[in-house]
Amino acid sequence: MKDYILTVMAQDRVGIVRDVTTALTSLEGNITNVSQTVMCGYFTLIVSVQMPDERTQLEIRQAVERMGSVGEFEVNVRPYRQANSSRPYKSQHYTLSMMGKDRKGIISRATAYLSDKDINIDDFYAYVLDGRFVMLVQVSVPENVDVEELQTELELLGREYDLLVHLQHENIFRATNEVRPVMDLQRKN
Amino acid sequence: MAAFEDTFQTIDMLQNEHLDVRAVNMGIDLFDCADRDIDRACKLVKEKIIRHASPLVGACQSVSRRYGIPVVNKRVAVSPIADVMAGHGKDELIQLAHTLDEAAKEAGVDFIGGYSALVQKGMTNSDRALIESLPEVLSQTSRICASINAASTRAGINVDAVFLLGKILLETAAQTAEADGFGCCKLSIFANMPEDNPFMAGAYKGIGEPETVINIGVSGPGVVKRAIERLCQSGQCTGLGDIAEQIKSTAFRVTRCGELIGREVAELVGAEFGIVDLSLAPTPEVGDSVGEIFEAMGIAKVGGPGTTAALAMLNDAVKKGGAFASSSVGGLSGAFIPVAEDSALAKAVEDGNLCLEKLEAMTSVCSVGLDMVVLPGDTSAETLAALTMDELAIGVINKKTTSCRLIPVPGKKAGDRAIFGGLFGESPILPIPNETSDAFVHMGGRIPAPLTSLNN
Repeated sequence: MKDYILTVMAQDRVGIVRDVTTALTSLEGNITNVSQTVMCGYFTLIVSVQMPDERTQLEIRQAVERMGSVGEFEVNVRPYRQANSSRPYKSQHYTLSMMGKDRKGIISRATAYLSDKDINIDDFYAYVLDGRFVMLVQVSVPENVDVEELQTELELLGREYDLLVHLQHENIFRATNEVRPVMDLQRKN
Repeated sequence: MAAFEDTFQTIDMLQNEHLDVRAVNMGIDLFDCADRDIDRACKLVKEKIIRHASPLVGACQSVSRRYGIPVVNKRVAVSPIADVMAGHGKDELIQLAHTLDEAAKEAGVDFIGGYSALVQKGMTNSDRALIESLPEVLSQTSRICASINAASTRAGINVDAVFLLGKILLETAAQTAEADGFGCCKLSIFANMPEDNPFMAGAYKGIGEPETVINIGVSGPGVVKRAIERLCQSGQCTGLGDIAEQIKSTAFRVTRCGELIGREVAELVGAEFGIVDLSLAPTPEVGDSVGEIFEAMGIAKVGGPGTTAALAMLNDAVKKGGAFASSSVGGLSGAFIPVAEDSALAKAVEDGNLCLEKLEAMTSVCSVGLDMVVLPGDTSAETLAALTMDELAIGVINKKTTSCRLIPVPGKKAGDRAIFGGLFGESPILPIPNETSDAFVHMGGRIPAPLTSLNN
C-alpha cells in the first residue's frame, strides 16, 4: 500500500465528503485522516489515504473529479512523505489576537514578523466584518524567546496599523473555557 | 485551541468588562518573630516580611503579562498581631505598626492586613492594647488594615469589645477628621472572620494556615453585569433561572482566572497556593458595580423591593459556578455591597432609595455586611456599637461571616457627602433612625452563643 495526501476544493454543498470518500473506497483505498473547512461558502477537504500499489496519482484524481459535475472539484493528489515537523526545542502555545479597522497588508506583515522569530503558526483564523478586522492565531513560541519583548514588539506593530494586539498564553483561554481542572493545565507545562 | 467564540468571549471579558484579579494576597506567619524585646521583634518582623513579600510584585507583573490579565492589588496579610505581640503594651504595638507599614512600603505592596485581634469571647491584655492603639495606628500609618473578630457562632457576641470598638471608631474618625474619618475605612469588625480572606480591610493570616500562602480575590461585577445584559438583549432570556445559569457560567470563568494566576504566583514566590475568594468586589468605577447587576436584573431602583431576592440569587449562583470551577474556594466568597466603593449603591443612597435597614437586610444573604457605610459625625459610640451588634447577630445566627466598616464622619450630618478617593470611593451620609439603644449596649457582657439545632 502507498500513502497519499489529497485536497479537494469546491463550492460548498451537501454530499461532497460522501462523493470523495466513495471515489476513494471504490479504488480500494483506506482513509486514515480527514479534515474539512468551510469559509465564505467554499469547502476544502484534506484527506490522507492508503492505496493499493498499482493505483496512480492520475487515476485517484480522476476518480474523485468524476464524482462532481464538470469542473466542480479542484483536486490535488501527492504521495505522502513523512513531514519533518519535529523542532529541536521546546515551545509554549500562545494566542495572538489582532483587532481593529481593516487595512491591506496586516496579515502578511504580522506573519512575516512571526516567521522571522521562528514562531510557528499552529492555527489561524481571520475575517473582516463591516470593515472590522479580526485575527486569531495560535502560535508555538520557542522557550528561548523573550515573550515580554515579543509582546511589546507585536503591540508596536499593532499600533502602526491601529490594531489592538495581545499575545496571551493559551492557558488563560483553556482555564476559562474547558472543564478540566486548572492543575491539569499546569501539569502539562 | 479553545473554540474561537469562547476565545473571543474571554478576550472581551478582559478588555471591555473589567475582568481582573482584584487582589493577590500573601499570608505570612509572624509567630516566629515574637520577642519580649520590641526592637528585636520589629527587626525580625521587617526582615521576614521583606524577604517573603519583595518578590510578590514582580511575580504578579510577570504572570499578569503572560496571560494578559491585570492584577490590581498586591497585598500582605500577617498573623494576628495581638497574639504575635502578646506581652507588649500599646506603645510597643504602635511601634510595631510603623514597622509593618515600612515593611509593606519597601516590599511594594499597597496594604498589609493582620493588625488584628480575636476577641469573640473575651479580650487578653494584648487584644485590649491593640484595640486601644487603633486610632493612632490607623491615623499615623498608610498601609495598615485592622480587623477585629468580635463575635462567632460558637462564642456569641462580645458586647464589651463591640462597645469599646464604638468608642475607638469615634476616636479614629476624629484623628482622621480632615479626611472625612478615613481611618475607619481601614478597620473591619467581624463575626466569624475567615482565616484566608484576601480582601482588605479584613485580611489576616489565620492560625491554621501555612507558613506563607497565596490567596486570591477575583473580581467580576462588570463581567457578570454584561453577561446578564447580553442574555436579556438577545431576547432569549426565559426567566430568572436563565439569568442564574448565566451568572454561574460567568463565575466559573472568573474563578478559573483566579486559580490560574494564584497557582503560578504561588509557585514563583515559593509559597503554598491557598484559596480563590469568589466575592464580587466592586470599585467606584462605572461598569464595575454590584448595584448595576441588580439594575441589569430589572431592579429599577437599587434598594427597592426585590433587591434582597436579586442579591440572594446572585450570591448563590456565583458560589455554584465558583465551587464547580475550583476545589480551592474560600475566604468570604459572596457579593460585596460596600456602599462608598460601589458607584450605583452610593447613587441609590443619594437618591434616597437605599437606607440602612435595607442594607442590613441585604447582608443577611450575602457577604460581607454594613461595609463602607458612612454615618453622621455625631453618632454615639453606643449607636455604632448597637448597629455593629445587629450586623454581627446576622452572622452569628446564620453561621456565616458578617462585618462592619462604619465611618462616622466628623462634622458632617446625614445627606452630606464623604469623599475618600481611589478604591474607597465616596458616598452620601446615611441617616440613623431611632438612636435609643444606649441602655442595651450599656448592659455589656456577652450575648451567648446561639442554639445550632431546632433550625426551623
